[in-house]
Amino acid sequence: MKALFLLVALGFAASVHAQFRLPSIDINKMVDTVKNVGKAVKDIDEPEEIGIGKDVASRLLGAAPLVAHPGLQRYVNHVGRWLAAQTERPDLPWQFGVLESPNVNAFAVPGGTIFITKGLLDRMRNEAELAGVLGHEIVHVLRKHHLKAIQKGAQSALAGDAMSAALLDRAGPARDKLISFGTEMYSRGLDKSDEFEADRLGVVIAARAGYDAYGLPSVLQTLQAMNAQDSALALMFKTHPAPGERLDTLGEKMQPVLDAYSGQAQLAERFVRQVKR
Amino acid sequence: MRLLALLLFAPVLALAEPATVIRATELKREPATDSATVASLAENTAVEALERKSGWTRVKAGNDEGWVRMLALRFGGTTAAKPGASGLTQLFNVARTGTSGTQVTTGVRGLDAEQIAAAQPNPAELAKLEKFAADRNAAENFAAQGKLAARPVDYPK
Repeated sequence: MKALFLLVALGFAASVHAQFRLPSIDINKMVDTVKNVGKAVKDIDEPEEIGIGKDVASRLLGAAPLVAHPGLQRYVNHVGRWLAAQTERPDLPWQFGVLESPNVNAFAVPGGTIFITKGLLDRMRNEAELAGVLGHEIVHVLRKHHLKAIQKGAQSALAGDAMSAALLDRAGPARDKLISFGTEMYSRGLDKSDEFEADRLGVVIAARAGYDAYGLPSVLQTLQAMNAQDSALALMFKTHPAPGERLDTLGEKMQPVLDAYSGQAQLAERFVRQVKR
Repeated sequence: MRLLALLLFAPVLALAEPATVIRATELKREPATDSATVASLAENTAVEALERKSGWTRVKAGNDEGWVRMLALRFGGTTAAKPGASGLTQLFNVARTGTSGTQVTTGVRGLDAEQIAAAQPNPAELAKLEKFAADRNAAENFAAQGKLAARPVDYPK
């Protein structure tokens, strides 16, 4: 309906131009523009999601590089890929990276890229805890939490057909704006409800993969016990509900699942061998 | 090697932290709901957390010792500069967190809000990231090595 109205309005504008013999307006291009406005509100398809993710991942890697430790990177990729295989999007180009930063944080990028900081990894005790955190991030990708937030915000940031230009032309200025906006999402955070959903389903994914379901709650308790003034926590605390609140919510909603799968593997020894050296 | 051994045992020995019970909770002899009750702890009882075993934490409450549900515990949140922490405790904290359980760190971190906003693309690192990715077969082998078996678990409604 809105598109139709816009078409009519554009048609009117074009006829006005014709009347006054102004430089010719390409009506076909205008129709395309209206179609593009329509496309912008539709879903971004999977190749586009993956493409946006790559560009955003490149920016995040510009803020902090990978830890120069191939064995560690491969280890985290193995854990992550095993978890992702238990989900409804098993064949995305999943890739996992440990970022060289003392900050405590993790990031999920559209299309299947997950980052975890060295600072967070250093505070974990076993592979089940790592699986809990990666499971949480995997849910953000599965449910397209960031993609939806980027899309929603970009529609107001990028007027008219700029959104489809940003999707079509990966070297253009509209693309640059979209990716800048998409990267900034990580300093603003998602809706709380997205974070709680990622906690609930992340626990399930870790349990499916054979891990102690208490991995994620254990990490949350570690964070809850840390000094909230520690600047390493600043961004994570700004962009997520407080760990205590997340633990409360998990306890309310997930106690039966947590208990049913609490006896599964923790793999502390393998984790320590791979991470703490 | 000694460090590795220390790290391996860190999960068992690491905790000796003040915590609070957030709701009325039974202190159990063993980490199981059907275990005998040692004492009933009122809401806000101060305890000392000693050890965690998945969903349970062993605590000392006054003269009693036993297990409470991990989700019933909250830690102080302000653990900076615990007076009287022994050298040994500090060592365990180092083992546990990789740096220090209580240290407040400052300085350049690369991943603060401003740095993320100002970040420029890093295609060289992106290429490395892609190189480290594992395929499904590799992941399945890795899981088998850890004796991890997949099982169906439904998402909550």
